[in-house]
Amino acid sequence: MRVGQNPAKSIKQVVQPKKVTVATITYIPHMKGYYSESLEVLQACLSSLWGNTSVDFDLFVFDNDSCSEVKEFLLDAEEKGLIQYLLLSDKNIGKGGAWNIIFQGAPGEIIAYADSDVIYSPGWLEHSIEILNTYPDVGMVTGRPLRSPEEFYSKTLEWAQSQDDISVEYGNFIQWEIFREHVLSLGITEEQALEWFDSKGEWRVTYQGVPALISAAHFQFVTKKNIIQEFLPFNMDRPMGQVRTLDEMINQAGYLRLTTCDPYVRHIGNKIDGIHDIAQRRERPNQKAGFRLLEIPLIKRSLLGIYDFIFKLYYEK
Amino acid sequence: MRSGQNPSKSGIPAYTPQQLGIALLVYIPFNEGYFKNSLDILKFQIESLYKNTKSKFDLLVFDNGSCIEVIQALSELRDDGYIEWLVLSKNNLGKVGAWNWIFGSLPNELICYADSDVLFREGWLEDSLAILDAFPNSGMVSAQPTFHDVLDGNGTAHLDLKDDQNYEFGKYRPEYEIVEEYCLGIGADDELSSRFFDMELPYITNLTSSTNAVIGATHMQFIIPKHVARDVIPLPVSKGLHRAETTTLDQKIDELGYLHLSTKKNHVMHMGNVITEELVSEVNSFNGEMDKDPGPAVMVLSKKSTLFRMVSKLIKIPTLNQFFLRVYDFLYRALYADIQ
Repeated sequence: MRVGQNPAKSIKQVVQPKKVTVATITYIPHMKGYYSESLEVLQACLSSLWGNTSVDFDLFVFDNDSCSEVKEFLLDAEEKGLIQYLLLSDKNIGKGGAWNIIFQGAPGEIIAYADSDVIYSPGWLEHSIEILNTYPDVGMVTGRPLRSPEEFYSKTLEWAQSQDDISVEYGNFIQWEIFREHVLSLGITEEQALEWFDSKGEWRVTYQGVPALISAAHFQFVTKKNIIQEFLPFNMDRPMGQVRTLDEMINQAGYLRLTTCDPYVRHIGNKIDGIHDIAQRRERPNQKAGFRLLEIPLIKRSLLGIYDFIFKLYYEK
Repeated sequence: MRSGQNPSKSGIPAYTPQQLGIALLVYIPFNEGYFKNSLDILKFQIESLYKNTKSKFDLLVFDNGSCIEVIQALSELRDDGYIEWLVLSKNNLGKVGAWNWIFGSLPNELICYADSDVLFREGWLEDSLAILDAFPNSGMVSAQPTFHDVLDGNGTAHLDLKDDQNYEFGKYRPEYEIVEEYCLGIGADDELSSRFFDMELPYITNLTSSTNAVIGATHMQFIIPKHVARDVIPLPVSKGLHRAETTTLDQKIDELGYLHLSTKKNHVMHMGNVITEELVSEVNSFNGEMDKDPGPAVMVLSKKSTLFRMVSKLIKIPTLNQFFLRVYDFLYRALYADIQ
């Protein structure tokens, strides 16, 4: 039975959500192996977001069933008011499943999504929003110049080339150091990066005085909620590895995929030293005999199998 | 930089949500006064859900800015596996603001919403599903007969069925105990109570399945199909809990042609903010354990080998758990040593 009046009825005004919701997904199931530095990476990611964002925003963190150390860090940040919405999921519902909840639930008109291994620099949000608000029908703006396969930006190029009031140029608009920094963060070798860099250029557009490159990436992008919702729900039945369908869908629907011309965000992967210096991949000096055995394909495959097996044990426990 | 392949990309399946998602909205800003018993009442509610829901479900708890003790209790329930998704909002978004969030984001095909002071009894889901089956245009189905028409008689969606020979309309007087419980739940005074005791409730029957439903639904607890939930948002929000705002949900549902319906039996009860002896006695009468795995499986999981199942059990032993983690860490360093 109820005795008294529910005090909630006397709340005259509730806090209105900010226009921008910055959203990220965390998944650090344990603190070993691949994930041994992931909590430090997450802390660096959020610190750069809190320190380098001058536009008002609400932060929405979707935790996809991380270990207790990570949850404690997130709960502490929520308690301090640094995270406005914290969702703790008891099971990993995949990146697609988390996206479904984020893009439906995030209250902002503009959603700035990024994986939780990204470092933000001052101005990242302003510059992305400027592009989002200047160009028509923008689907994604990534805060870093980069290249993506043509099938992910073909409609943007078609649109740009069909307009009279827009400048379209092809050339090398990304500096080598900026290009290299990003592709090395993905685990690509220096040689491969150089080969890719020399193989082609980028399309740059300028509309109403605002330049942008034609491309975008799903690891970090700013979008409008009403546009991204057109693509929901994402049917992704695995935790990762299917997210490129979003890039394809946005391109096919004719929404523009653009990046800023300067790097405002940086992918750092799972190694914290990547923040300070993207180390060059070098041959290991003085390899031990045990490690040399790993060059034998059969042994390497077997150990990789055990490695994956143990991960699945922890994933499904 | 990225070192090694993210293990999440190794093809393991993601969790597939159940057909039913249950969302509870919690706001307990402190543990005194009006809210003195609220946390215990919330625990009664979750216990009643697990003991009296005979199908699998995903439980989402949306905390609308409660005090630290409540958040700690919710975190413990989540750690124990009773809460699938715990949403902590630093600010109180209001009931309607939380609805916008819940209706927009819950991935389940059927969304059950409840305030955090509702007791669920055996049969609540079965009777609600029977109504959803018998009335395909259902927008909101509550598991308690509705005495208070929030649309003040202005609802029109059900009128379309008046000319349909498959349906029959009527009125009935609910049993004394049901009315009494309702009046106690809302703290009705004698005058208001006597009005409810005299009231006849309108109902509708699907003649093909002989399923009855009271016309009307309550904001306290209802099931809303996901497609309806998605259609009605965003709802306007500016206050914490304000009838004019919560009623926009009903107006939108009715305007879209969806029905407000409820069961004739009181399968749910409004516990309010007082723990009575009767309430404790009823909660103690619920049979069984808090079953986290009550119904038929819908989860999509890969077939597991006998070895996998055996080792899965072994890693629950702390020493072996640490051992496997060390092996995992060693393999990671060995396999990806060249890029560390």
